[in-house]
Amino acid sequence: MNDRPVRLIAADSYWIGSFEAMASPCELFMEVDDEAQAKRLLNIAAHEAWRIESKFSRYLNDNPVHLINNSGGKPVEVDEEVAQLLDFARFCWQLSDGLFDITSGVLRRIWCFDGGNQLPSPQQVEQILPLVGWHKLTWARPCLTLPKGMEIDFGGIGKEYAVDRTLQLLQQQTDRALLINYGGDICTGGIRLTNQPWSVGIENPSHPDTPKGVLKISRGALATSGDTRRYLLHNGKRYGHLLNPKTGWPIDASLRSATVAAATCTEAGLLATLALLQGPEAEAFLQIQSVQYWLTP
Amino acid sequence: MQLKKPKKIRHALTAATCGLLGVNCSDSLGEEGDWSFDSAVLYYSEVDRVTAVEPVISATRDFGEEKALNLKFVFDTLSGASANGATPSDQPQTFTRPSGKGVYTASAEETPLDDTFRDNRFALSSRWEQPINRDYKTAFGVNFSTEYDYSSLSANANLSRDFIKRNTTLNAGLSLAYDTVSPEGDIPIGLSSMVIDNGQADYRSEFNASRGDSEDNKDTLDLIFGLTQVIDRKTIMQVSYSFSDVSGYLTDPFKIVSVVGEDGRPLEYRYEQRPDARQKQSLYWQVKHQFETDILDLSYRYFWDDWGITSHTIDLRYRWMLDGRQYLEPHIRYYDQSEADFYRRFFIQDESLPDHVSADYRLGNMQALTIGMRYGVALRNEQELSLRLEYYLQSNDNTESVIPGILNDMELYPDVEALIVQLSYKF
Amino acid sequence: MSVKLFLVTFAVVLPLTGCANLGVEPWQRNVLAKPEMQLISDPISAGLDDHIYFSKEASSGGRGFAGGGCGCN
Repeated sequence: MNDRPVRLIAADSYWIGSFEAMASPCELFMEVDDEAQAKRLLNIAAHEAWRIESKFSRYLNDNPVHLINNSGGKPVEVDEEVAQLLDFARFCWQLSDGLFDITSGVLRRIWCFDGGNQLPSPQQVEQILPLVGWHKLTWARPCLTLPKGMEIDFGGIGKEYAVDRTLQLLQQQTDRALLINYGGDICTGGIRLTNQPWSVGIENPSHPDTPKGVLKISRGALATSGDTRRYLLHNGKRYGHLLNPKTGWPIDASLRSATVAAATCTEAGLLATLALLQGPEAEAFLQIQSVQYWLTP
Repeated sequence: MQLKKPKKIRHALTAATCGLLGVNCSDSLGEEGDWSFDSAVLYYSEVDRVTAVEPVISATRDFGEEKALNLKFVFDTLSGASANGATPSDQPQTFTRPSGKGVYTASAEETPLDDTFRDNRFALSSRWEQPINRDYKTAFGVNFSTEYDYSSLSANANLSRDFIKRNTTLNAGLSLAYDTVSPEGDIPIGLSSMVIDNGQADYRSEFNASRGDSEDNKDTLDLIFGLTQVIDRKTIMQVSYSFSDVSGYLTDPFKIVSVVGEDGRPLEYRYEQRPDARQKQSLYWQVKHQFETDILDLSYRYFWDDWGITSHTIDLRYRWMLDGRQYLEPHIRYYDQSEADFYRRFFIQDESLPDHVSADYRLGNMQALTIGMRYGVALRNEQELSLRLEYYLQSNDNTESVIPGILNDMELYPDVEALIVQLSYKF
Repeated sequence: MSVKLFLVTFAVVLPLTGCANLGVEPWQRNVLAKPEMQLISDPISAGLDDHIYFSKEASSGGRGFAGGGCGCN
C-alpha cells in the first residue's frame, strides 16, 4: 500500500514529483537544485500522504476509522492525531450549526451520485437519519463511543489535512519554494527564486479536462469543494452530492463548486465546504469571511 | 431551508486550523489586507482627587507571512486634584500655584491637594512585526506622546528566536526614550523654599528667583530579556528580566515637602529634589494555564532600583467560562513597595536637609490592592465586548520616628481609593 | 545581593533544565494557539493598566518596557 510508484521529472526551474494517493493524482513542485534532494522530498511527501490515507480511509480494514466504525457501540481509544481531528470535526460541527458532520457518510448508502436519476424514498431517508448526527456520539478524549450502526468519515478534511501536514514536513527540510497539489487541494511554501507566483488552473465543471482559468498564487493555500462529476438528475432537477445531515436530503445547491484561498489548505477546504453547505447563501457566506474565492455556477 | 444569515466564522476557523496543524497563528489571526480594530474607554476616578477618561483605539493590519502593522492612538483627559506632598495642619494653608500666578488653599486638617491639574494627553504608537526566517522574528516600534507640559519620543526594537519546535522562545528588546518637561512657571529650583504671595512688593522677583530653566529632559534606556516556555498542552510560562536606566530631570516639579516646627505646624515648604539618575531592574514571571475551559493567569514581579525601592506585585486572574460565548473574570492584584531612601513625610525645623528629598506618597512605603471583575461576551461576526469594574486601594505606612505636635492628630497617610471602569470593543 | 542572584539563577535555570520533558508537538497546540491563551491576551487593557500603575506606584516594567512617556511620574 505504501510503496506505490513515484515519478520525478525536471521542468524549467523546478522538479515535478507525482504519485497517487487518496484516489487522486498528487503533484509536488520543488524549486530545489539537485535531483537527490528532490527525490528525498518527494519520498517524504508520498509517504506522508499514504500514511494519512491508510490511517483515515474508511475503505481500509486495519485503521482507527475502521475500528471506530465497527466498534458495535463500545468505546474506542484513539491516538493523539485522531483525537486532534475529532476535536476539529466537533469544532466545525458547532461552527456550522450542525451542517458539517463527519457522521453523515451513512447517507450515501441511499444516495447514489453517479449521474443517475434514482431518488431514495422519504421512508428510506427516515430510516437512516437516526444514524446521523455528531451529537449522538460520545467524544471524551481519548475515547470515542459511536452508537451501533453509525459511521464516521474524515473524507471532508483528510486530503486538505494531508496537504498541510506534507508542507510542514517538507519545510523542516528546506526553505526553498514548494507547491503541493493533492487532487486540486493546493498549498505553497517558501518564496520562488524569481519572486513570481505559481500559476494554477481551475477546472471547468462541464468540461473537466480543459482548464477554465488560471490563478496566480504566491503563498498560502487553495482548496475546492464541490464535485462536478458527482450529482443526480431527477425530473430535470440537479442534486449535488452535499447532503444536509439534519434532513438527509441534498443541500439546495445553486453552485457546483467553490474555490477558496486561505493561509492553510485545511482552512481553505473547510471554508469552501461550509460555503456550499449554506446553499443559496454560499456567496454571501464567503463575502462575510473576507477571503478570496471563485465560484462555479 | 437556510433562513439564518451567514455568520463570520473565519477567525474561529483559522484558530482551530492552526491548532490542528500546530502552527503558531497568534501573529497571523488578522485577515490579510484588512484592518482589525480594538477599542476601549477607560474611566478612572479617585475619591475626591483625580478623574481620568481615556479612549484608546488600536488598528492592526496583517500583511501575511506574519508581517503586521499596529497603530495605537490614546487620548487621555485628566482633571482633579492630587496631593502636593505637604502635611495637613490645624489651620488653613496657602500654596503658590506652579505658574506663580495665584494661590490654592487647603482648609484645616485637610490633606493639601494641588487642584491645578487639568491636562490632555495624546499618544500615538506604531509597531511593525516581521520575521527574518522560520526561527527569528523582529519588531520595531516608535511612540510619541504630548501633553501640555510634557512630551516624549521613543523607539524600540525586539528580536526573538524560537527553539525546540517553537516550545522555547528567547527574546531581547531595547528601547530608547527622550522626554522633555516644560512646566508652566518654569522648573522650580530643588530644595528652594516656596515663595507665597502675601502682598509683598517684590513677590514676582522672589518667585522668579526660585525658578530655574524653562524645560529639562530625561533619557531612558530600557533592556528586556525574556524566555517563554511551553510547559504542556495547556500551560505556558514566561520569565523575564528588565533593566532600565533613566537620567536627567526625574523630579516632580509640582511636589513639595513641609518643614514643620516642634509643634508640627508648617514653617515653610521646600520644592522636592530627586536624584538625576535611576536604575530600575525587575524580574517577572507569568504562567497561564487552561483547565477544562477556564483559564488561570498568574504573575509575579520583583522590582528593585538604586533609590532603595523594592516591590512585589502579584496578579491573579481567572477566566470563568459561563458558556461558549460569555465569561466572567475575577481579578486580584496585590502590590507592596518599600520607600525610597530620600522619602520623608516632612522635616522638622533645624534638621539639615539632605541633597535629595521627596514627600511624594508614591515613593513611600505602600501597599495597594486591586479587586475587579470583568465580563466579556463574543458577539456576531467575531466582535467582542467586555466590561470591567475594579476597585483600587492604596495605603501608606508611617516610617517617621518622631511625629511632632499637632501632626499626631492629622491624617498624614490618607488612603487613596479609585474606581476603574473599562468598556472594550473588538471589531 | 546574593539573594537576588539566587533568584535569577533559580528562575532562569529551572525551565532550561526541565526542557527535556517540557513542550508539546506542533499538533498539540490547539489550546495554546487560542487568543485568550496568549501571555498578553488583551494588549489594550494591559497598556491601560501599565499606565495607571506607572502613574500611581514607584515600580514599572516587567512584562514590557518600563518607560513611561508620561509626565505623571
